Amino acid sequence: MTSEEYARMVKRCLRCSICKWIPQVQIKNAKHATICPSMDYYNFHAYSGGGKLILANSIETGRIPLSETVRDIVYKCTACGGCSVSCKHLNTLEPLEVIQLLREKLVASGVGPMPRQQEYIDAIKRTGNPYDEPASQRMNWLPDDVKTHDDADIAYFVGCTSSYRRKEIAIATARVLNAAGTRFKLFGSNESCCGSPVLRAGDVESFKELVGRNIDMFTASGVKKIIASCAGCYDMFKVEYPRFEKMPVDIVSASEYFNELIDGGKLVFKDQEPITVTYHDPCHLGRGAEPYIDWDGDVVQMLPMVSLNVPEKPKRCGAGGVYEAPRRVITRLPGVQLVEMDRIKEYSYCCGAGGGVKSAFPDFALHTGQTRITEAESTGATCIVSACPFCSSNLQDAITESKSQLQYKDIAELIYDSIDPSMSGQNNE
Amino acid sequence: MALEKDVFAELVAIVGQANIDDSDAMTDVYAYNWCMEVVNKMEGKEPLPYSPRPLAVVLPASTEEVVGIVKTCNQHGLTFKAQSTGLGPWNNPSTENCIIVDLRRMNKIIAIDEESMLAVVEPYVSGAQLQVELMSRGLNCHMPGAGPQVSPLASATSMSGPGFTSPSTGHSARNVLGVEWVLPDGQVLKLGAAGLEHEPDWYSGDGPGPSLRGIMRGLHGAKSGLGIFTKVGIKLFPFPCDVNWNVTGLSPDYQFEKPDLMKWYIVDCKTYKRAKAFVQRVEEHEVAFMCSVLSNFGLSAIFANSIEKLLGNTVLAMTKVPVVILIAGRTKREFEYKVKVMTSILDEHGLENMAGTKFEPPSISYAEALRSNLGLHGFIATGAFQSSHGIMDTLGVCFKATKQNIPVKMKYINSEQIANDFGEAVWSTSFEHGHMFHAEMLTLYDQTNPDSVTGVADYFNDCNQMDLLQHLGIPFFIDGDERHDWYGPSCSNYNAWLRQIKEALDPACTADAGFYISPRNSKKQVKDKEV
Amino acid sequence: MKISTKDYRTLFSRICGTKRVSEDPATLKQYTTDESLFEGYAPAMIAWPKTTSSVQQIVFIAREKGISLLPVSSSPGNRVHGDSLPRSRDCVIIDLSKMHRIDRIDQENRVVAIEPGVTFEDLIPVLRKHGMRLNMPVMPRIGKSVIASALEREPVAMPLYQWDSTDPLLCAELVFGTGDVFRTGSAAGPGTIKEQRKAGQAQVNPMGPTQFNPIQVIQGAQGTLGIVTWATIKCEVMPSVQHVHHVSSDSIIELLAAQHALLKYRLCDEVFIMNRLGIASLLGTENASIEALARELDPWHLIFVTAGHGVLPDDRVAYLDADAKDILAQRGHRITMNEGTFDDRVLLAKLSSPSRDQWRSRPRGGHESIFFLASASQIPKFVNLSENLFTGREVIVYLQPGNLGTSIHCEFDVMYDPGSPQDVGTVKSSLSSWHDAFIDAGAFFSRPYGNITKAVFQHYSVANISTLKKVKTIFDPGNILNPGALCFEDGTSG
Repeated sequence: MTSEEYARMVKRCLRCSICKWIPQVQIKNAKHATICPSMDYYNFHAYSGGGKLILANSIETGRIPLSETVRDIVYKCTACGGCSVSCKHLNTLEPLEVIQLLREKLVASGVGPMPRQQEYIDAIKRTGNPYDEPASQRMNWLPDDVKTHDDADIAYFVGCTSSYRRKEIAIATARVLNAAGTRFKLFGSNESCCGSPVLRAGDVESFKELVGRNIDMFTASGVKKIIASCAGCYDMFKVEYPRFEKMPVDIVSASEYFNELIDGGKLVFKDQEPITVTYHDPCHLGRGAEPYIDWDGDVVQMLPMVSLNVPEKPKRCGAGGVYEAPRRVITRLPGVQLVEMDRIKEYSYCCGAGGGVKSAFPDFALHTGQTRITEAESTGATCIVSACPFCSSNLQDAITESKSQLQYKDIAELIYDSIDPSMSGQNNE
Repeated sequence: MALEKDVFAELVAIVGQANIDDSDAMTDVYAYNWCMEVVNKMEGKEPLPYSPRPLAVVLPASTEEVVGIVKTCNQHGLTFKAQSTGLGPWNNPSTENCIIVDLRRMNKIIAIDEESMLAVVEPYVSGAQLQVELMSRGLNCHMPGAGPQVSPLASATSMSGPGFTSPSTGHSARNVLGVEWVLPDGQVLKLGAAGLEHEPDWYSGDGPGPSLRGIMRGLHGAKSGLGIFTKVGIKLFPFPCDVNWNVTGLSPDYQFEKPDLMKWYIVDCKTYKRAKAFVQRVEEHEVAFMCSVLSNFGLSAIFANSIEKLLGNTVLAMTKVPVVILIAGRTKREFEYKVKVMTSILDEHGLENMAGTKFEPPSISYAEALRSNLGLHGFIATGAFQSSHGIMDTLGVCFKATKQNIPVKMKYINSEQIANDFGEAVWSTSFEHGHMFHAEMLTLYDQTNPDSVTGVADYFNDCNQMDLLQHLGIPFFIDGDERHDWYGPSCSNYNAWLRQIKEALDPACTADAGFYISPRNSKKQVKDKEV
Repeated sequence: MKISTKDYRTLFSRICGTKRVSEDPATLKQYTTDESLFEGYAPAMIAWPKTTSSVQQIVFIAREKGISLLPVSSSPGNRVHGDSLPRSRDCVIIDLSKMHRIDRIDQENRVVAIEPGVTFEDLIPVLRKHGMRLNMPVMPRIGKSVIASALEREPVAMPLYQWDSTDPLLCAELVFGTGDVFRTGSAAGPGTIKEQRKAGQAQVNPMGPTQFNPIQVIQGAQGTLGIVTWATIKCEVMPSVQHVHHVSSDSIIELLAAQHALLKYRLCDEVFIMNRLGIASLLGTENASIEALARELDPWHLIFVTAGHGVLPDDRVAYLDADAKDILAQRGHRITMNEGTFDDRVLLAKLSSPSRDQWRSRPRGGHESIFFLASASQIPKFVNLSENLFTGREVIVYLQPGNLGTSIHCEFDVMYDPGSPQDVGTVKSSLSSWHDAFIDAGAFFSRPYGNITKAVFQHYSVANISTLKKVKTIFDPGNILNPGALCFEDGTSG
């Protein structure tokens, strides 16, 4: 939004607190009615989406300066976008965009980001990943038996977290692609951070550099399609990059691609012991992954103070996220029964890791993860499945901390465990 | 102003370090509220959406902690302002010498007593949270028009109470049973049966002898001006239909599996005279779950989720005096009876139901009606609205006020300070199957535009004047010293009695009096001046 | 200040007229006793004001001279609670029974405006003519003031029309103990009643004005805070079809569950539970017939009425009856539907009329009531307790749900022979311990009368009592209104 739109928007919060809850008509259980992890942990109103809109107004109107106190409030937020979904059910405010812009202002002023976030931004600049691991070791996850093809027009973008921390996701993804006979390449040590942690921390200038570098790399690689198994990376390439530069390739999430493979009969599954799973919608694959749609209409004033968009401007309420593909995948795996949590799809409850929170406020991240694990347990499922390595990390930490009996699997792992290796098409050329 | 360090330390000892914040950033956020700009303008101040900034915000987790906070305020000459879900300027301090007590951490449903059809809740249980726990028991709760995300406790003890389901679920003030109430001096009152030495319970809030519920609130609550409420027993009602709740689709376009035994009626009565006869006849028969008179603008809004859809509901926009009724049945025979009654009454009055013929209500509207989410649709058009009037008595006086308000409002519409709803935006609902009615006139405005805010403020003053001079009743927002002292002499000098109540229970004016009334001899600074 | 008899007469006859004051000993004696086992002092005088202004002047004089006032609205004879018995010799009874205008009947808004002297027998036929009825107690006695009944929070027979504990009382005009006249609810203003009515109002909103509810404070106050001179009373549409249903059981628990279901699903108008003696007393007239009827009946009885009015009354009753039958069938065991046991018309007449005699006293000629509020789940406990406490005595048990079914008025009417000094003495000496037993078991005596009041407040929240006393100093700073009642101090305080 423009700075005029921002200045106007931050004056319009009605303090109705809808942003703290999942959409009211979706509430089915009193314990699972909230959507804002920041409010659930910190409780003060400023931590809500609306609270941060008001905070932005206070700053914009000069009532309070940008300060470390303001910084802490703004960054104690996973930027999950839940507040935006709930607010925009009836209203037209954009709490998440305001939160993002507040972070950018904090960084621009030198007050932000949080020190731990600055550390990982510097690491990304140094090593191409936020873990400050050597770039040369980025491909260490790759097992010898995984086949890749340097001339493939499909690339698998692994992402930093799967490369260095959640290697099982990368391995499972690659093996599923192999089993389906997909010819794919890897970017190898050319792959570096998509920039999600940089953007979420508000360092938009550093982010733009990463965007440029990655787009150049994609172009140079000649690939036509990128598969991303990390929801964060997917969100970057699908939604955020096109706001800065034109994407030269198509992007598809691993879940969507796996779904296509199953549709096309490329994967054959074995019988297996029944298992009940529940699926956690990652924010950046769900509501966050709804692309911005260019709208070229007009704002027409019908009556004083009453304007409408002609044609109607699509509202990004999360409807365009990836919800059905992972569910179709799960429900077609033999022996796997899916039970849904109370907070799903565009009103899913955040795992707690995003927005730089895992680094800067680990207690908050863990508490949020535990909240989600408790909800998952209430379904009776024995396994929680998701499609994001960051969700994987935090939810598994939460499982350990809670001493939960739940198992965690990435969707790639769930599929790979279900594949009948003797029957899958070995179509690699 | 800053909170003194020793006071801060005392409060930390009560609530814990993590539950108190006195930073400028936090306190400024709490100084903001919806309609604060209008209140400021009405009081001759700059039309900013900010009240005086509190000294600090504290988050107690128990009644004991609330008592500790109140006693600390007393000891140090501070005031307090309690809030739960916090919607509206009545949650804000009137001076800077104030601690905001945010009751968010007190969020438990204490009990659901099915046999006595009551629930006991803490301040930060939302209406929706309570409703979903009740539905499986075939029960329901009343929710105010402000929406299911607000606190039933706040509505019952401290605010107003009309709701879209008021024909069948009444008014919040009349649904109160036992109450736990921390007085401004820190004493804890437990009203009615809750105050028994042996086996206290929540089924009655009255007695022994006189009912202190009558001191606690009237048509409106004290808005934190008489203490802090930490628990309340509220009446429950039968869930009106099947409890299967199936919402599908993705936001903002949800669909709902409509219960079989539920039906909308949208009836354009064309004149207020016909609407009065029709509504009174319907309500005599006690068939409606919901029965509201709206303007065509309001009617279009409740069945839309965007301004585009609102303005696209042209068939609704063409109505003159629409009445919207929702009937529901738990059994087929109950429902069929209600349908038959409605058909008969429509025939009797020469009216027709547009729902299902000229207009198909979206399926989600049934869910929103059941969940009392319709009031929030008022924000669709301009992003801000507030109501004037709010009188409560007969349908006749409600319609009189509606009609007489039109020219008053048109003045501000013509000056483009208020959005043009042709002056007629009204929401009038039945209570207790037609035993009384209220009318509030919705006012759409732009809170970012000082001229619009000024227009609203002037218009609200005109409305208050109109109700006073034309004997239409006491409107909603007559609170605070100035307005009470203005209205009181024409209304049995009630202000003198209210002030005595404040003086008796809070002589030190420790409970912020900005939206209640202040004692005559308070040494506290009240509304930026010594009183 | 000691006032002489001559002074009383002078003071009050100037206000009420010489014919409307009395110090006649025989007249005064009528106010010293009632049907309870308590006795009061003979008052100094009875005054019968006719206007609000007169009441106001009486209060001014009383304040100035330090005279206690005891307001009553119902005619003497057949009072039962001991609440109207003077606590001191100096007190003046201000008897409002001669203020008996029915001011306005408003069928459209289902409301009637009356003065305190209007009785049930005055009002019921008038309302009937206008197609309306009252939500009223079961067979109030002749001479009972409608306003007084509502002010005392007497239980009414149709809990689903009692949306709050104040119903059917709506707005009121009253004179506080300061002499100030006040109107409550929407009657407060702006404007006079006439001006409000011209604007279309009918004084149907009992709440307020603004941020307090004086009508709720006055109710249950036993005249200690103010004197009501006029009120609006909520009315209901008169049904054109009514069916009486009678369900009996040997299990009170079963009937309570059935009653709960009827209330939960909004299936009845009048509804209550009585024991066999209660039903027999309600229906019978003489000792012998009551005893005979009681012997034939099951121990417990649930009576409920389904009713229809308006365009399709028979359809309404049909669905209510069928739904009720389904619900009761779910609890079929140990419940007997006794359609036709009693003559519907007889029972309906009983439920819509006052009674010449005190129906509760019919079995033995006298009764002492012990009544309190309780939750439904507590009732079996209290019934068991009563069986232990009242061993060998006949007792009417009457359970009346109220306030949309959220609480139950639980009443035990202990029979005694007023002609037997020994019987009277036994009951009188046991009253205190009986009440104590119920208090200890958690009974909520929300409207305590007479000698048991002290015990009730001894076991109640000290903070609440302190607050009530503050309220008293607001509305009756001179403590002239019924001093010593409830938890308030005796005597006047200048």
